[in-house]
Amino acid sequence: MTEKNQTGQGHVDQYTIQLINKNIDGEISDAEKAELDRLLITSPASAQLNEELLAVTRHLDEVREINPPSHLQATIERQVRLPVNAVKNPSRSAAWFGASWFRTGLALAAGVVLTVGVYEMGSGPIPGKDNSSLVGTIAKKANQGSLLDSIQLNTVNLDGQLKLYNNDDLLTLDLKLNSAASTGVVINFADRGLQFDAASSENLVVDNLVSEDGIVSFDSEGEQHFTIGFKRISAEEAPAPLQVSFYADQLLIEEAELIISRY
Amino acid sequence: MHKDKDAALVKSCLKGDRRAMSQLVSQYQRPVFNAAYRILGNKDDAADATQTVFLKVFEHIGDYDQKFKFFSWVYRIAINESLNQVKKRRSQEPLDDGQASSWQGPAEELDADRVCKKVQDALMSLNVDYRTVVTLKHISGCSYKQISEILQLPEKTVKSRLYSARQLMKKSLLADENQ
Repeated sequence: MTEKNQTGQGHVDQYTIQLINKNIDGEISDAEKAELDRLLITSPASAQLNEELLAVTRHLDEVREINPPSHLQATIERQVRLPVNAVKNPSRSAAWFGASWFRTGLALAAGVVLTVGVYEMGSGPIPGKDNSSLVGTIAKKANQGSLLDSIQLNTVNLDGQLKLYNNDDLLTLDLKLNSAASTGVVINFADRGLQFDAASSENLVVDNLVSEDGIVSFDSEGEQHFTIGFKRISAEEAPAPLQVSFYADQLLIEEAELIISRY
Repeated sequence: MHKDKDAALVKSCLKGDRRAMSQLVSQYQRPVFNAAYRILGNKDDAADATQTVFLKVFEHIGDYDQKFKFFSWVYRIAINESLNQVKKRRSQEPLDDGQASSWQGPAEELDADRVCKKVQDALMSLNVDYRTVVTLKHISGCSYKQISEILQLPEKTVKSRLYSARQLMKKSLLADENQ
């Protein structure tokens, strides 16, 4: 408590400086406030310092907030890639895909899918139950229903078309994509009263498909045609559009929203 | 500050909901930009810092611990990013006494608000540790406790820096008035 403050009229000890600052910040107790009031009356140097620091605070509080550049939010949003499960750890799926046990499993799965595909042609759709570990299966293509929405993609890295169909309680998202490099596709259907039903591509197996927590994600490269099915499991009043995001090298390159409301 | 709402938005972001991300950016870009601006003293640098802050926020949102307030976490990233920029700038072009006058706000803002210019000059004359504490207290409106959380410093250190900073600002801010 020996540190002193030069005010021109005398010295103010450190304790008084603390009390003055606490008072300015509104963090002073009643007892401390009473003591400060007494000190301000008895010490002109303390009173002067109090006035000066109050003036500094007034100046600081007069500073107005400034507006960020108007494009900033859009710039940020364009660049943000949300760490969605499959997208969150791309190295994880890549590691799985590269593992010999996984490749063997995948070959077996492809065989199963082919078999299922043959069965599918003659027996109707496969019921979508537990799809959380689905690698690829056949979505029904017959009678997709009425077109709800469609979007044309046309970027440097990716072009194609998205079409969303509705048939009773089934929604079918038809994606025709063309990209030179591997493109991550992330479909967000969370909180929209939908359940993932099935997925297929012309190559029968959808690479790295993951369906988890309201997100379906998979990879696409070259010219591809995917069909993703969803079931309406509850009637949302005004469901948010289906969000489809496309990523290259971890960066969002395109985003599309498809209206899923029937009304 | 909107703790429950923030928690819900963070949860939605983790599910890949870009609307939730958009809401969080909308809510925090202004305070983050203003804090960065007061520390860096330059609007372009503040915009760059703000952009980087949000990229880091969403890149690491899976690591965010919901025990803490989201805004404290965002501010911590914002302050660290601003301080990194200050360090980078120092290594590229050492600051000199003329730094305070290098404030690059739009001319109309300077003309319209001489107090802001004066305060910004006084802020820029402080060392960056003091400047950061004053910014968090007076521009961002944080309490001692919040500043302590954001900077991960004891409250005692926060107070000490704040009090010293005000004393230093007193000289530059009140010099004209006392003449």
